[in-house]
Amino acid sequence: MWRTSLSAGFRCFVCKRAGIKGIWGSNAVRRCSAPALPTDRITARQAADLWKRYFEEMGVTEPDHSSSYIIAYLLGAKTMESVEKGKLTEFLSQDKTEQIWKLCTRRLSGMPVQYVIEEWDFRDLTLKMRPPVFIPRPETEELVELVLSDLNMKPRTGAGDEALLTCLEVGCGSGAISLSLLKSLPQLQVIAVDQSQDAVDLTRHNAVRLGLQDRLQVCHIDVMEDAEAVLSLCNTVSVLVSNPPYLFSEDMTLLQREIYRFEDHAALDGGKDGLKVIKQILIQAPQILSNHGRVYLEVDPRHPPVIQRWVEANVEEMHYMETRCDINNRPRFCILQKEKSNKDHKLDLD
Amino acid sequence: MSRLSPVISCVYRWSSRVIWRSPPTHPSFPGLPRVLAAGKKDLIHLPVLNEDELEEQFVRGSGPGGQATNKTSNCVVLKHIPTGIVVKCHQTRSVDTNRKRARDIMREKLDIRHKGELSEVLVKKKESEMRKQEKRRKVNENLERKRQFKEALATSSETGKDPV
Repeated sequence: MWRTSLSAGFRCFVCKRAGIKGIWGSNAVRRCSAPALPTDRITARQAADLWKRYFEEMGVTEPDHSSSYIIAYLLGAKTMESVEKGKLTEFLSQDKTEQIWKLCTRRLSGMPVQYVIEEWDFRDLTLKMRPPVFIPRPETEELVELVLSDLNMKPRTGAGDEALLTCLEVGCGSGAISLSLLKSLPQLQVIAVDQSQDAVDLTRHNAVRLGLQDRLQVCHIDVMEDAEAVLSLCNTVSVLVSNPPYLFSEDMTLLQREIYRFEDHAALDGGKDGLKVIKQILIQAPQILSNHGRVYLEVDPRHPPVIQRWVEANVEEMHYMETRCDINNRPRFCILQKEKSNKDHKLDLD
Repeated sequence: MSRLSPVISCVYRWSSRVIWRSPPTHPSFPGLPRVLAAGKKDLIHLPVLNEDELEEQFVRGSGPGGQATNKTSNCVVLKHIPTGIVVKCHQTRSVDTNRKRARDIMREKLDIRHKGELSEVLVKKKESEMRKQEKRRKVNENLERKRQFKEALATSSETGKDPV
């Protein structure tokens, strides 16, 4: 019996696509409306298959992953693979079916899955997601690993060992980087800034959710407009970390609609050469960092050699240490260190 | 050391969307001599993983990556070249976590491969199974006893006799 109702559902949207007039109205062709709710009960597995096929029909990217993540989320799991055994083949309640339909319909417009389910994972954290605040990317998980491995290997130098380490994050977005660092390092204090009030609010919200708000200070500051405000917040910071907007302006229009239509462009657009915010960060860095303090940046793969040359020519106290690649072997991370001495720089590096 | 290039060139012929990552010197996975399995209830000493012997696959599509891409596929496939063991992990929505868990699972599989039945992984599993079975048996016994008691009560109230 359920087969009939499912195919009836399909007939509905097929008509729409053919532009047939009638009760659905004219020109309702690609209005991306959902298939009808099944009249008989279906299982999660069937719902996932149905929506996967529908997403494919409607040109939604990652049709399989999209339906899987949404349905797994509604079943209380992170991924389909981690859904409780047997739950996938149980019949869904009417309520649950309606929830699936509601969320999957949102995905039709190209809304990123992370905004549809309003959460996502970043390393060992689950963070709330809210448009238009930038969604953390998997590459950035590696940026955190870089910072952590350096901080963990930092030789303890006696007095001030137990003192709190301070880190500044520029452009915190949902708080992914800051909160990840705080979770892993109990002795760390973080100051996070963002030009977007939405991002500031979301970072604070996530901090409270994770119980990390005591060691985090979040401020609404645009480093491009008000560098002074940042300087007044921090005096000697050991680490400056950032995933700043680094896309080239001309590349913005090439973005997939999930990004272009839903995420804050200010979190993406780095200007003509993608270096607008990066340069500002590096110019301010010597005033913010303690001596030997480091900057960790996520950048566009074309940036590392350009940044190195530019820093050598323009920011005396910042030394380019190394470039690291991401999981796809693209140059992605730049590490720089503050070295105060004006003499032979090479002698100071160790 | 096994040669990786024949395997990598083979993979590229399958699909241009699959990206093989060459053995990295990754800061998060240093080769420590004896590593305790993370997150599991009991401490288990599992064999070390040599990153040079592993090949990792991420199906991330051909996009530019980073901020320019929002793809949610983060399943990790990890292959241990010397033994051919393949581990697939998509337990979480974090690539980093999936990579770590894939390695934990790989260590368990390698332990089983090396030690067979004696592997602590299997021993603990068997113990846990036996404990569950014992618990089930006790619960059933209890239920049975209660049932019999109820029956006895019922019959004695009918006949007016006291239960034993």
